[in-house]
Amino acid sequence: MNTRTLLAAAALAATAAGAQAQSATYAIDPTHTFATFEISHFGASTNRGRFDKKTGTVQLDKAGKSGKVEITLETGSINSGTAAFDKHLTSKDFFNSAEFPTAKFVGDKFVFNGDKVAEVSGQLTLLGKTNPVTLKATNFACYDSPMLKREVCGGDFEATVVRSQYGMTWGLNYGFSDAVKVVIQVEAVKQ
Amino acid sequence: MARALPPSAALLAALAAAGAAAQPVDYALDPTHSFVHFEVLHFDTATIRGRFGPLEGQVTLDRAARRGRVQVVVDTAAVSTGLPVLDARLRRDDLLASTAHPQAFFVAERFEFAPDGGVAAVTGEFTLRGTGRALRLQAQRFRCYTHPLLRREVCGGDFDGELLRSDFGLSFGLPFVADVVRLRVQVEAVRRDAADARP
Repeated sequence: MNTRTLLAAAALAATAAGAQAQSATYAIDPTHTFATFEISHFGASTNRGRFDKKTGTVQLDKAGKSGKVEITLETGSINSGTAAFDKHLTSKDFFNSAEFPTAKFVGDKFVFNGDKVAEVSGQLTLLGKTNPVTLKATNFACYDSPMLKREVCGGDFEATVVRSQYGMTWGLNYGFSDAVKVVIQVEAVKQ
Repeated sequence: MARALPPSAALLAALAAAGAAAQPVDYALDPTHSFVHFEVLHFDTATIRGRFGPLEGQVTLDRAARRGRVQVVVDTAAVSTGLPVLDARLRRDDLLASTAHPQAFFVAERFEFAPDGGVAAVTGEFTLRGTGRALRLQAQRFRCYTHPLLRREVCGGDFDGELLRSDFGLSFGLPFVADVVRLRVQVEAVRRDAADARP
């Protein structure tokens, strides 16, 4: 290996290390992070529900265009505005929250459009089963929060979850949709 | 093949059908499937969502005459974002002012119908914080079906609309929290039968 090659390799390694050093950790802001599902009711209107309790972290390397996100939702914190519906949703027919109190998304494949996150792919674990899910961004930005005096990055994401893949099959025989749309608001504060 | 009706009978049947169809039909909002969700952008970054409801209200539809009327009451103190602190902030005087204005209203009599007879849009007056403004809600979907448990006709859909919160005096947090508020209204209404008392 000649000197030139060595120098090039060293420069590459330095660049990689530099990029790595720009990877920052962001903590999920639970006051601006929600997942809301949308599912058709008899083809007429859309039922919505959100998960009120969640935790998570995001690693974001804007220079290296990579990242990792982990978000855990408490399935028992589902809130539709109708107590009877919430009770049904947390029962064994749907989320079975007594046995499976959390659902977890781990996303490690980030697609960027310029300096903005455009897509995050990963694995969703729900009811003890794990399947791939892709979140597509409809908004993404980073800003300096005047209240927190820190950088905040966040956006809006949409995903489609096929509930039968997780064994959540209640109502499929009555014509209730298998594909459930999930809309996600997320903001995370630089640590 | 069935024998054709004599012309007079066919005419009578057609008249009867037209007469029946032209009757206005009353519906009451189903509180378990009637909510207003709002969406407003936070720092041009991510969307804050919240919910009002269950909604109370009545709908009268005359699909043959292509007319209708809807009136909905929204309890402003019942706002739910998933964050009790934010809900309390929203109820204060520079936002919903829920103490002085506990209710918001939507009354609409301009109905647009799709070619299939479904409701395509409704335009009326939305009163929030004591200020009334025109509001058009456009149907994203609309359908009438026979509810298998209630054994009654239910009509419902999703309706989207947009307003500027500053038009109603909800000024706190501008411009970091956007002025444009997108409304996503879920509504289903159950047909009242003759035995139900009219409101």
